[in-house]
Amino acid sequence: MFNVIALLDQPSSGKYTLNNQDVTQLNDQELAKARRENIGFVFQFFHLIPRYTAAENIEIPMILAGVPSKERKQRVAEALIAVNLQDRAAHRPDQLSGGQTQRVAIARAMIMRPQILLADEPTGNLDSQSGKEIIALLENLNQQQVTLLMITHDETIGRRAQRRIRLIDGQISLP
Amino acid sequence: MHYLDIINLSFRTVISQKLRSILTALGLIIGIAAVIILTSIGRGIHSYVLAEFTQFGTNLIAVFPGKTTTLGLSGATISTVRPLSMADALSLSKLDNILAALPLVQGNARIEAGKKQRRTTVLGVGAAVPEIWKIKVATGRFLPANEQTNPRAFAVLGHKLALELFGDNNPLGQRIRIGSDRFRVLGVMEKKGQMLGFDMDDTIYIPTAKALALFDRESLMEIDLLYKSNMSVKTIEKSIKRLLQLRHGREDFTLITQDQMLKSIDSILNILTLAVAALGSISLLVGSVGILTIMTIAVSERISEIGLLRAVGAEQGTIFKLFLSEALVLSFAGGSIGVLLGLLIVYLISFTLPNLPVQLAWLYIMAAFAISLLIGLAAGVIPAMKAARLHPLDALRSE
Amino acid sequence: MTFSDTLIQSYSAIKTQPVRVLLIILAMSIGIASVTVLTALGESARLYIVNEFEALGTHLVIVLPGRAETTGGHPPIFGETPRDLTLADAQALFRSRNIAAIAPINIGAAPVSTKGLERETTIIGSTASLRRVRHLNMAQGRFLPDTDTNKILSVCVIGQTIKNELFAQQQALGQWLRINDRRFRVIGVLSSEGQSIGVDFDDMVIIPVTAAQTLFNTQSLFRILLEAKSKPAMYKAVDEIKDIIKARHDGEDDVTLITQDSVVKTFDDILMALTLAVTSIASISLAVAGILVMNVMWVSVSQRTSEIGLLKALGATKRQIMYLFLSEAAILSIAGALTGLILGKATLFILQTVYPDFPVYLPTWAVFAALAVALLTALIFGVLPAKQAAEMNPVTALRRK
Repeated sequence: MFNVIALLDQPSSGKYTLNNQDVTQLNDQELAKARRENIGFVFQFFHLIPRYTAAENIEIPMILAGVPSKERKQRVAEALIAVNLQDRAAHRPDQLSGGQTQRVAIARAMIMRPQILLADEPTGNLDSQSGKEIIALLENLNQQQVTLLMITHDETIGRRAQRRIRLIDGQISLP
Repeated sequence: MHYLDIINLSFRTVISQKLRSILTALGLIIGIAAVIILTSIGRGIHSYVLAEFTQFGTNLIAVFPGKTTTLGLSGATISTVRPLSMADALSLSKLDNILAALPLVQGNARIEAGKKQRRTTVLGVGAAVPEIWKIKVATGRFLPANEQTNPRAFAVLGHKLALELFGDNNPLGQRIRIGSDRFRVLGVMEKKGQMLGFDMDDTIYIPTAKALALFDRESLMEIDLLYKSNMSVKTIEKSIKRLLQLRHGREDFTLITQDQMLKSIDSILNILTLAVAALGSISLLVGSVGILTIMTIAVSERISEIGLLRAVGAEQGTIFKLFLSEALVLSFAGGSIGVLLGLLIVYLISFTLPNLPVQLAWLYIMAAFAISLLIGLAAGVIPAMKAARLHPLDALRSE
Repeated sequence: MTFSDTLIQSYSAIKTQPVRVLLIILAMSIGIASVTVLTALGESARLYIVNEFEALGTHLVIVLPGRAETTGGHPPIFGETPRDLTLADAQALFRSRNIAAIAPINIGAAPVSTKGLERETTIIGSTASLRRVRHLNMAQGRFLPDTDTNKILSVCVIGQTIKNELFAQQQALGQWLRINDRRFRVIGVLSSEGQSIGVDFDDMVIIPVTAAQTLFNTQSLFRILLEAKSKPAMYKAVDEIKDIIKARHDGEDDVTLITQDSVVKTFDDILMALTLAVTSIASISLAVAGILVMNVMWVSVSQRTSEIGLLKALGATKRQIMYLFLSEAAILSIAGALTGLILGKATLFILQTVYPDFPVYLPTWAVFAALAVALLTALIFGVLPAKQAAEMNPVTALRRK
């Protein structure tokens, strides 16, 4: 279901409307555009590109969207400040700690100012201290500007959400 | 996504895998450099041989006795029942548009000058040698004109022969013996060097009629004709044929124009250059398989990266372009470094081995460079298509 | 770890990457195939020419009039000399005991005609010995009779082309043939020889040497062909010929002698050099393929870092790891070489089918050389990546994903 919402997969049945648009009707190009503009991703395994620096990883979605270079640099700098990593801009992923890596990933997810932020077990691969920092950062974002959809196995994090859907073996079970 | 950004990203990727990229490009570099060096040598030999031939001038027609269709030597040069005579040469020289005619007999004899002697090539020729063969007299003068039928016993020495017989002494006016006949040295030719293995300097020039007497023969081996450069070969050929047919009653001679010669030599040497280029291209082919291999590996290594790019909004086309341009960056780098290396080595060759004629074959160089880009394109397409077709979900999951 | 275990391990590693392996094999096989094909062509051409010459007899000596002192230049292949080689010179050579046959040669061109058909052709004047010296075969009739050379016989032997052109549908033997203004009776027809090293015996009329001298109004010979009794006899004969001619020519050494084996050796050398040059140009592609092997081995090492770490943790020695990767490279190259050999063989087979007249032959040493070169390439280019794998620190190797 997460993948369907993420526009990475088509629903086997039912309908998915995003911004009054039936996404099942969209072709690859339009889907890519929709992902680019509406959705931000945070993964359990970060998925940063190892040969690029933190700043360059954040920049990638804007490159894909064709944002002019000058504006890109500006926004990357702002994003780095937002996740408190301005002194790590030129580091590569393997020089960052897990928490720092995930903060770069969040900065990347938010750089296109999406309406929805999808987080798939964002703390699953982090120690608890870093996990707490990440959750705080995500909550902060959620209050400011974005719909946050998070998948987690961690009940303590789950309880902080405004709305919960519990899935047990693919079936929705009401709280 | 902007093209500049695509190229920039690919460039970054190529740079980040230094060793791998260098080795991949090296395959192309070697191939391109090989093509450039080989074609340069081929081209150099081409120009060298053509220059050897054109140093005799281009407005030449040679008449040989006997009717043959091939360019090879016919038995008629040695002896024939239908000889070319001095009279033939004389009447040919009076044709319109013919500037000079050279009746030629060649042989081998011992030359004696005082106590020194040397066996060498004897050329029985007319006064027109300097004009027709474009070879200058260094000292003295050449055989006098207007003495075709009953010439005086004069001889002109080739550069090397003069040195061998007279050393530092002045040979002008000296008496020499050829066979049993006595000649007086009238001049010495300038140094000309080897002409396709024939040493032009180890020769002696004597009047044709004297040579015929010396060798006890009546017919010429060849008549060289120089015609006006503004006339077409066809017209000249026609008038020569008409005249000789009239004199002999039939067509029992063969005309070979310098033009024909040059053309056939030209085409043979062009094929030679093409052949060495083809040989060099085998390496280019292997190099392109190298790019294909490395691009295939690159795609399979970066599947999860492709997944991420797709998730954050890259279209299939963008992924395709990214990988294709990566292959292009590799092949462009390989191609340009290959061209530079090739040029460098060609210059080194021409610097260190001045005897080996090299000449840059720009057409082949440009073709080699264009082919290297094509190789990048061809070797990049399949892996890039594979990358673009990956389903983003599967790609993200692969780890 | 035994040798076969190493091989099995490398093979299983190779099997997981079929596309990559196929591409490497392709690259290697292109190189090997082109080297084999070019070597085979060069070798075949060399053998072809050498055989052609040997067919003429290996003890052949050619006497040319004239001698030039220019070193490295051509011998005076044609051209005149003040003192000719004469028939008497040729006959005087019989004094040498080392000579088996002497064929004086006169050559010229003249129109040949019969019943209104005419053709300009090459006329050779010689004696009965020419047949032995040049190993000519008769299709019909007989060759020039072995009689006193001073007697003028009006007979001739014609080649296949002349027969077809002038006596298309009829018996040629016994017919009269007009050469310029003289008539000759056809007593024999040569069997078709094709081009025998530049001399087309098919388009040729052979007449007695004295008849040719009369026809062309000359006393001199173009050259003398001799067959020595044996190879050692040939070198003795060369000295004897020089002495005999010198004595006859007032002490002047004015002839050039060419022995068959020196000509064969010249051609042999030239073609050998040519084959070598062409093969080495093609070998550049092997180096390129080697670089590819190196590249892919490097990728393989870096991709299997954790595997290497694990193997080391389990007690593999540096040497074992190195052999593992080297044998992987070797397997790839050998597979490429074998494919290349098959490709090369196939190409040669096609060539042979298209040009059945030219015997194509792949020397056995070339096959082994190809395999050896491929193996060597693999080892040379595989050593660096394999070394890197072997030197890897197990702890960091394991930690890397």
